[in-house]
Amino acid sequence: MSELYLYPVWLRLWHWLNALLFFALLATGISMHFSLGWLIPFDVAVPTHNVSGILLTLSWLAFLVGNVIGGNGKHYLINFRTLPMDLVRQVRYYVYGIFVDEPHPFHVSADHKLNALQTLSYVGVMYGLMPLLILSGWAFLFSAELPETLFGIGSIWVVAMAHLLLAWMMLLFIVVHLYIITTGETPTTNLKAMITGWHREGGDATGGSATGSG
Amino acid sequence: MNGMSNPLSRAGGPPAPNAGASPPTPTKSLALVHLVLLLFIGLPGAVVGAQPQQVAPHGDAGGSGLTKGDSAECMRCHWMETMAYRDSETRQIVDLSIDRDAYEHSVHHDLACSECHARGYRHYPHRTSSADEGLTCVGCHEEHQGDADVSPPDLAGFDIQYQHSVHALEAKPESGAAFSCFSCHNPHSFRPLPDDTPVPEVVAANNQLCLDCHTELDAPVPKGHEWLPRPRQHWGAVRCLDCHTPLEGRHLYAPSHQLLGAAESNQNCVECHSQGGELLSQLYVHRAGEEREQQGFLAHAVYNDAYIIGMSRSPTIDRIGLAVVGLMILGVAAHGVGRYLAHKRKRASQ
Repeated sequence: MSELYLYPVWLRLWHWLNALLFFALLATGISMHFSLGWLIPFDVAVPTHNVSGILLTLSWLAFLVGNVIGGNGKHYLINFRTLPMDLVRQVRYYVYGIFVDEPHPFHVSADHKLNALQTLSYVGVMYGLMPLLILSGWAFLFSAELPETLFGIGSIWVVAMAHLLLAWMMLLFIVVHLYIITTGETPTTNLKAMITGWHREGGDATGGSATGSG
Repeated sequence: MNGMSNPLSRAGGPPAPNAGASPPTPTKSLALVHLVLLLFIGLPGAVVGAQPQQVAPHGDAGGSGLTKGDSAECMRCHWMETMAYRDSETRQIVDLSIDRDAYEHSVHHDLACSECHARGYRHYPHRTSSADEGLTCVGCHEEHQGDADVSPPDLAGFDIQYQHSVHALEAKPESGAAFSCFSCHNPHSFRPLPDDTPVPEVVAANNQLCLDCHTELDAPVPKGHEWLPRPRQHWGAVRCLDCHTPLEGRHLYAPSHQLLGAAESNQNCVECHSQGGELLSQLYVHRAGEEREQQGFLAHAVYNDAYIIGMSRSPTIDRIGLAVVGLMILGVAAHGVGRYLAHKRKRASQ
């Protein structure tokens, strides 16, 4: 049995707040986009989406601050030298090794809680998708201040399509994220870690150490 | 930014029919007016007594036009709510009363009566010909363009648009009088809506202008709008003229007066409710801008309700997104099942 205190309180609070905002934005966004009044009435969905978007912006800024001051940023540094092999090993594990009880190629430690695949996707999501999604959301709110056209096309259409495309990509990320959580030593190992802060693995020294879910 | 408070909208009550441009006034009718006056107040002298009280100025800087020049003389009679006659030809009641309060809040508040009604009102009863003076908004505004103290907005552009409108070409008001500016805009109460008027109120005030005459639209399934889902919700959110004016050459803050009939008006849902809609940008930017002005930065962001259903709709992106996410869900589900089977096999072998 190994125990590792991986997620400090601030990080867990941030994670779950982020999850809540994500869920709210997704549900209200879907309801607005497809005019699903039965899901969430339109006049509730719009202000909820606006407020959640603003809070998500603050939450993202808190994430940045936490990474810089709280030291969490080191988990998002990509080691380009080892990346190709790490990726190959990680992908091989997910498509083959995991079914034949191979040991996990990556071992969670205080210095490295994310495997190569996670590092890459989280960097893409948190430093790529997320700021763009937030930016396009604010552009919606303040479209009166935008130029009439962007790249020769009506600004609002460009903003709307960007927001839509990014939202779909974020949904895709959430689906994968939710599933990957279950690929720890047991299906709930990672979930429990994000709740208690402790990454607990039972037993044998050689056994497959699970992926972090941060 | 003057917002949707277009120069020709108004915030006051319904306009008095033909107020300001009275149709021919037969002597017989004037006699009737006199009779009404007598019945109402008993003695003409009482009017004089009541007068100073009725036209007390509001104390605003420019002073009320109703106290200037000979206006007090006019208001001796025209302040009365019952000041009206029935037109012998059209059988319609023609209201000649001036709502003092509405006038003093109107854009014309500092004009004395005689500045518009220049000719032939010195004597009472007024001569029939004086009612034929043919006042028009455009004419009066043009006439006073050069005046230093007043600089009325030039309405010539509106006039050109109006000449091509369904109102100028086809309208036959119930009153029988010819259609004119005054059919919609009452110069004695007209004022642009203040900039801080909330969008729904601007929409309501604009649309009320249309609905005052188009009473046939006050029905569960409004005539001519059978194709339009949730007509009342639409009318609460957008102005009639957003669909009933031409798309070309629109100016957001000076709405066209070229009102279109049913055949030419926009009946295409996707003009507003889709990504490429011609009307979409206008509506969205307009509503967002309006609200921003009124509420400030943060409140605007929170209470921004300028989103129009369908504005972010792109069937292509949606189809691709749905397909990719769907396949991913199937993929991870299959992966999960595979893991479960592998787990079972491992336990069985132990």
